[in-house]
This record gives sequence, C-alpha cells and structure tokens, in this order.
Amino acid sequence: MNQRFTANAARTEKVFRAISYALVFLMMACSVMTIGNLIQNVAPDSRSGIIAGIMLFIVIDRLYTYRQLKSLTPLSSEWTVAVGTQWIVIVLFIRLLLSYANGLDALLTDLSLFARGYLTSFFTPEFVFTLLLALLFWYLPAQFLELLDEIGLDQRLVLREDPTPIQSDTIPAHQRLVNLIFTLGIFLVILTALALINLRAMLSAPGAIPHLQVNPFSGGEAGVLFYFVFGLALLSLSRLMSLQTHWNQLRIPVSSKDLTRRWGMYSLAFLLILAVIVSLLPAGDSLGFFSLLATLLGFLMGVLIFLSQLLIALVLILFSLPFLLFGKAPPLLVNSPAPSLLPHLPVVAVSPVTNSALWMLIRSIFLWGALLAVIVFSFLRFVRQHDSLLAALRRSRITNWLILAWQWLYRNAGETGGTVSRALVDGWQNIVARLERKRLLPRTGLISLKLFDPRQRIYFFYLAMIRRGGEQGLRRKSSQTPSEYAATLEKALPAVAEDIDSITEAFVQARYSRHEVDSRQADRVKATWERIRRALQRMSRGE
Amino acid sequence: MSGTFLPLLFVLLLIAAFIRGDFALTLIYLVVGALAAGMWWCYRALAQVEAKRRFASHAFLGEKIKIDLHVQNKGWLPILWLELRETLPVALAGPNSFQSVIHLGPRASANFEYSVEARKRGYYPIGPLSIFTGDILGLSESLKAESRAEHLVVYPKIIPLTSIEIPSHSPQGTLRHTLPLFEDPTRVFGKRGYASGDSLRRIDWKASASTGRLQVKLFEPSIALETCVILNLNAQDYYYRSRIDATELAVVLAASISNWIIARKQMVGIMVNGHDPQTADGKPQAIPPRKGKHHLIRLLETLARVEITENSALVPLIQQQRYQLAWGTTLIVITGQASDELLDELYQARRGGQNPVLILAGRDASEESIRRRARIFGITVFSFTAERDLKIWTQESKRI
Repeated sequence: MNQRFTANAARTEKVFRAISYALVFLMMACSVMTIGNLIQNVAPDSRSGIIAGIMLFIVIDRLYTYRQLKSLTPLSSEWTVAVGTQWIVIVLFIRLLLSYANGLDALLTDLSLFARGYLTSFFTPEFVFTLLLALLFWYLPAQFLELLDEIGLDQRLVLREDPTPIQSDTIPAHQRLVNLIFTLGIFLVILTALALINLRAMLSAPGAIPHLQVNPFSGGEAGVLFYFVFGLALLSLSRLMSLQTHWNQLRIPVSSKDLTRRWGMYSLAFLLILAVIVSLLPAGDSLGFFSLLATLLGFLMGVLIFLSQLLIALVLILFSLPFLLFGKAPPLLVNSPAPSLLPHLPVVAVSPVTNSALWMLIRSIFLWGALLAVIVFSFLRFVRQHDSLLAALRRSRITNWLILAWQWLYRNAGETGGTVSRALVDGWQNIVARLERKRLLPRTGLISLKLFDPRQRIYFFYLAMIRRGGEQGLRRKSSQTPSEYAATLEKALPAVAEDIDSITEAFVQARYSRHEVDSRQADRVKATWERIRRALQRMSRGE
Repeated sequence: MSGTFLPLLFVLLLIAAFIRGDFALTLIYLVVGALAAGMWWCYRALAQVEAKRRFASHAFLGEKIKIDLHVQNKGWLPILWLELRETLPVALAGPNSFQSVIHLGPRASANFEYSVEARKRGYYPIGPLSIFTGDILGLSESLKAESRAEHLVVYPKIIPLTSIEIPSHSPQGTLRHTLPLFEDPTRVFGKRGYASGDSLRRIDWKASASTGRLQVKLFEPSIALETCVILNLNAQDYYYRSRIDATELAVVLAASISNWIIARKQMVGIMVNGHDPQTADGKPQAIPPRKGKHHLIRLLETLARVEITENSALVPLIQQQRYQLAWGTTLIVITGQASDELLDELYQARRGGQNPVLILAGRDASEESIRRRARIFGITVFSFTAERDLKIWTQESKRI
C-alpha cells in the first residue's frame, strides 16, 4: 500500500466518519422523537421532553466517546473505570434533571434526601424507566458504529494484512446493518402505531371489546418517516464503504477518480426523486378495499339500471304515439316511473371528509393497487428465495392448471385484441372511404416529399412525369417499358430529351436495382423533372 | 433482499390496514420504492452495458499481444459502478489479470488497454469479462453479467530447419533427386547422341536436324515431397515422467517439419489424434496435403490448438486416413513410443507405396528395441529427446 493510497484512504475515512456519525445521530434523534411521542400519549403528565433531551445527550456522549472506549480492551480495568465513570455521570445527570424538572425546590429536597441516604426516593419509576431508555440509547449507536467500522469506516481494521478468516456462513456487515436499521424501524413503526391509537380511551372504554380510536396526528410519524430516510442515506454510504473495502482488499483499481463524489450526488438525487414520488402517491383518506369494490360495482349497476330505464321509457313513448295522434292520453305514460338520474359515486363516510368523492375513489384505486402490487411482489420474492416451495408449486396440478388457464387467456386476449383493432381500423377506413365518395370529406391530396426516402422521391418525380405527359396527350401505354415511353416523350419534347433519358434511367435504377439511392441523386432527379415540367408547360401553351 | 424486509412490510401493511395510518402507507412506498427502484436501475443499467475487445487473434511465441477493451453504456441511465474482471489464462497473463472499477455516465464509454504475453503455444480464451454491479443501497444482491470470451491462438515454436533428408517415392515434383528413376520431362539439362533403346519421344528433332545426327534429350530427375505429418498426442504413448515436455517437443517437430516442407514449395498435410477444443467432437480435423503459406498457417493453427488426450490410439487413425493419401506420400509419424501394431501399420503403408518415417520425441527406455524392430520393417527412425537435438537438421544431415 503506497503512501498516496494511504493518504487518500485517510481523507475518505474522515469524510465518511463525519457523515456516518451525523446520520446515526439523526436516526437516533428520530427514534427519541418517536419514543417521546409514545410516552406523551400514554402518560401525558410525564416529562417526555426532558427524557428526550436526556436521550439525545446520551447519544451525543456515546458518539463522542465511542472511539476512546473502543481502543480499550473490554472488561479490562481501564475500560471498567472509563465506562463506570461515564455511567455515574449519566445516572446523576438523569436524576438531577428529572428533579429539576419539578422545580428548584424539588431538586434541593431530592439532594437533601440523597445526602441523608434515602435511596428509595432516588429510584422513582420515572427515573428507572429513563435509565432503561438511557441504556438502550447508549447501546444502539455503538451497534451502528461497530458495523460501520466493520464495513470500512475503520480502514486499518479492514485492510490489515492478517484479517480474521471469514466464515462462509457469516452475514456480511452491510447486510447486518440493513437488518439493524429495519429491525429498529419495525420497533419504531409499532411504537408509532401505538402512539396513534388513543390507548387511554381504549382502556377506559366500558365493555368487553375496546373500541379502536385513532388520533388524527402524532409527531412520531414524522420521526419514523425521517428515521427511514436517514437510514436509507446511511445504507447508501455504507454500501459505498463496503464496496471500496472490497475493492481495496482485492486490489482492484478504481479508474473513475470522482466515484465518491458521484456516489454522493446520485444518492441524493435517488432519495430526492424517491421522496417526491412517495409524496405524490396517495395515502390515507382512502376507502377500504371491499367497500371500494362494492362502490365500483354499485356504480356500474346504477349505470346499467339507468340505461335500462331509459330504454323502457323510449319504448313506452313509441307505443304511446298512436294514442297521441288520436288525441287520447296514452295509458302507459300515466303511471310510468321517470328514469332515475345517473347514479352518483357513493361516498363512504370517513373522517376526515375529503373534498371530492371522485378524487377519493382515484386515490383509493391507487392505494389498493399499490398494496396489491406490494403483496404480489413480496410473494414472488418469497417464492423465489425458497426453491423448494417453487419446485413444489411447479409440481402442483393446480399451479399447472392455473398456468395453462393464464396462457389460454393471454393468447385469446391477444387474438381478440388483434381482431378488434383490425375490425376498428377497417371500419374506420370504410367510413372515411364512403364519406370521401360522397364528397363529404375532402380528399387528402397533399403529399409531403419530406416523408419519402430518396428512392420513393425518384418514383414520385417519374410518376409525375407520366401523369403530366398523359395530360398532354402523351399517355403511357400499359405495354410500354420505361425506355419505350421515354422514346415517345423525346419525340414530343426533343429539347429535354437528355433529361427524359436521365430521369428514366434514374427511375429504372431506383426501381429495379439494389443500389443505394442517396438524397443527392433524388435532388438531381428533382431538378431534371423541373426542366421537363417547364417543357411540358410550354408545350401545353403551344410555344 | 434483507431478511427483515418482509417482516417490516408485513407490519406496515397491518398498520396500514387496521389503523389507516398515512405514515405506514408512505413508509411502504418509501421502502418498497427504494428496493424496487434500486433493483430496476441496477438491472436496466447492466442490460445497457456493452463490452468489446480488440486484439490480434493469432500470435507467435514470445509476442506481446495488446488487448483493447471498450466498455460502453448504451443507455441514458448512468451506471453508478461497474466492477470489471477479465478472466485471462495463467499461461499468458500470469497471476495478474485485468480488473477495474468504473463509473459510466449516460451513453459514456471507457477504454482500457492491457497486454498478455504469448509464452506457450495454445488456444486460449480471452475472457469472459465478468461485469458486476449493484443497487445504490445494497438492498439486493450484486448482479453479474458476462461478455463472451474470444480466443487467441499462439502458434507453436518453429525451429528453422535447413537439411532434412526425408525420402520420397513421389515422382514429378520440384525437388531434384539423385536417382534417375523419376525424370522430369520439363527439366531438360542436356543432350546426347542417340543410343539403341532410347525412346523416340526423347529425340530432340531440332538438335538432330542442326547436327545431322540423332540427339536425345537428357532430363533432370525430380521428386515431389508430398508429406503427411502424423502427430500422436495419446498420453499413453509417452513416458509418463516427461509426457508434457515430450508432447510439446512433438508439436514443435511437427510445426518445424511442416514449415520446412512448405518452404520448399511442397505439399504437406497433418493428422493428429489429440483433443481440439474448437471442434464439436473434440477430434482434430485431418488436413490433406496442400502447398502455400496460407496452408501452413492452417496447419500451425491446428498444431497450436491440439492438446494431449487419453485413450486415443493412433493406429486406427492411420488406417482410416492412409488410403486417402496419394501413392508415394511420405508419412512422418511423430510419437513417443511405437508399438508393434504401429510398426506393422507403417510397414503396410510402405508396401502400399507410401514412405513412412518414424520420429520418436522424448526420452523412452524402449528406444533401442523400437529402432531394432523398425529396421526389420525397413522404416527410417529419427529420435529427439529435446529441442537441442534438432541441431542435426539445422546444421548437418544425418540419416539413421
């Protein structure tokens, strides 16, 4: 490893360390926010803000002291002293801050009690709970940082010459980081869901089955959302680190000098585009899947009923016409019911009420469509990951039958689609042709030469010569070859005999040879045709 | 995909279904979107990569072959990282093989140049080029694509021979011969007075008219050295300790003799019973005797490709192909050992008007016994244990 490589690695390590520490801190802050929100929901009288502040302090402290503690041998005297003193400070800090949250008098009282040895008053349930949380937030950042070090944050660790032999069944560090982020994410999602439910109302509700009440908004949602965003950013960074470590270990040179910069740029763009798309997709205010289905079917049924009623009404009117002619009141119209109006989209009452039922329907279709896609995607991935299940499915008769049915449907749908489209095109062309014949539609006589290729342009000019020649009485007989017709024309137009020869030759080449015809040739033929056309015009004027 | 991905999705779906929390749906979109978009990008990008190699596909021993590798992103989607690993044969590249990591922007390309050295004759695959890429978040496994391998032919070593005495029974050739048996009527070298018994066809009427006495033409005798080199690459026919060196020496002998014959504007063909990686059944195609440099290249290509093989007896091959060769053709059989069966077959060839020559390549304990038996059958035998022994053909002529 040369000196330049080491310097570059050190610089990159510094940048990676700063970014990853910041991301871990932000993720922990989001977790603190979510947990704080749950505490607020369950116990509104508790000092959740203070607890959240304490947790953030512990996270910062852990991030700051992580490398110092890591340099010590675990369970050695030095390590015990360092960790012990750190925790004494943390415990005192928590206790004093919780006391101070009740006011200065409460703090002084607690201090005096502590001085007298009343330790039972020291360990209140709130303090113990906060202590447990502190332990969790002291432990979690270290887990993230250890994995990041293993991935490649600590280049000395990963690039040492005598690495510990890696067992084949060991999960890669990046994979373990993904697992850690997602596991903590699941935990936070459940906590956020609990924070959304009005637990107090549920628990205090009379009756055997508690009613589910959902709070309109909880601050924990934002926390968990941002936790995942920062988590994805950390994954992107760790992916780059793991790849660089892998390349360094295998001595694979990185030819693109600015790969790290581009990675950062693309990661940001990727997450930004993802965030924009996610924000555009529908969420909430949606109908249930089956109610959505019922709504759609009801709407379709309503349309059918409306159409049938309309038809019945028309038939009744036709039957009533003879009575009207004789000046009698039609008997059928007297008590016949009027056709109902076109059914409106029914709106299921959900809270909060949306502005537009149609918009809600569209969003619901999007939502449930997306969910179905997710379920199908997950199922497929699951099946692909389990080969035995896939093999069993392939062996199953039901699966084979389903596959055959699908293939039959697919084939028939394709054939039907093709037939229908052909029928539509034919029908449309028939209609247009009939209208043109009846002179109801103007003939589309304009031809754009730009649409033709050079070969077709030569055809066009030659055919124009034949048409114009025919108009001047020099009609081409069906038995005449191009050369024979050229001879006929040359007799009538000796001044442009060479041009006629030239255009005929060009046409014959374009029509019967496989030579490449370029646009310059077509342009020359056009110029030739112009001279012949002028000669034909002079002939028509009798000059 | 991570093992925790599906549990997370399941929890989110449950929460979305029962609580109708916006955040759960948004998270589903975010997580699934990150995974799906990452995978799509990765698959799409890899499908757009095209790699091409440019190099001289044939080389002589000792040459350095420059290989240009051109990797192009044909799509508009940038490729974040591509790990390129070229698989190169150890015989050409040694332990160092080409590998690199690149980033390719939209419709961008990258060029690489590396070289290999033709150290040993053979038919070597250059590649395949393994191309790895993956998603930006590392949620899915890395993808791998392979561009197909191309082949490099390294010709065998050719030792410039100057004097080989390979007898031929084929008349009407271009090589002068000392025996007046095969006189060439196109090669008149003088005239003499008519003697009784001279063919009337030999009389030079113009010379007879000018001298007033009957003169007959004297023709220069010549032979055609139509040769077929039969190379035995059956492993069992070589002494096991020196099998590799001996077979390589046999190939060098075959190439050098072919080169020498072609240089004399004679026809030479080849028959090998080894393994040819280029043919469908692995058996090398017999090349009939022809003249010219192009034909030599064809022979050398075959000799470059062929490899030693097991259980491929030479005698059936000779039996099968011998009858397609012309009368008087010289059969140069290069082998490690000669069994009685082989000697018998060569004897049959000799009786059939062909001219067998046996060349023993490599060291073998039974050499003397082979010589003795060959002498009984009237077959010429040459023996070479190493390339240096070929000096007898590069400096002086020696008939055994």
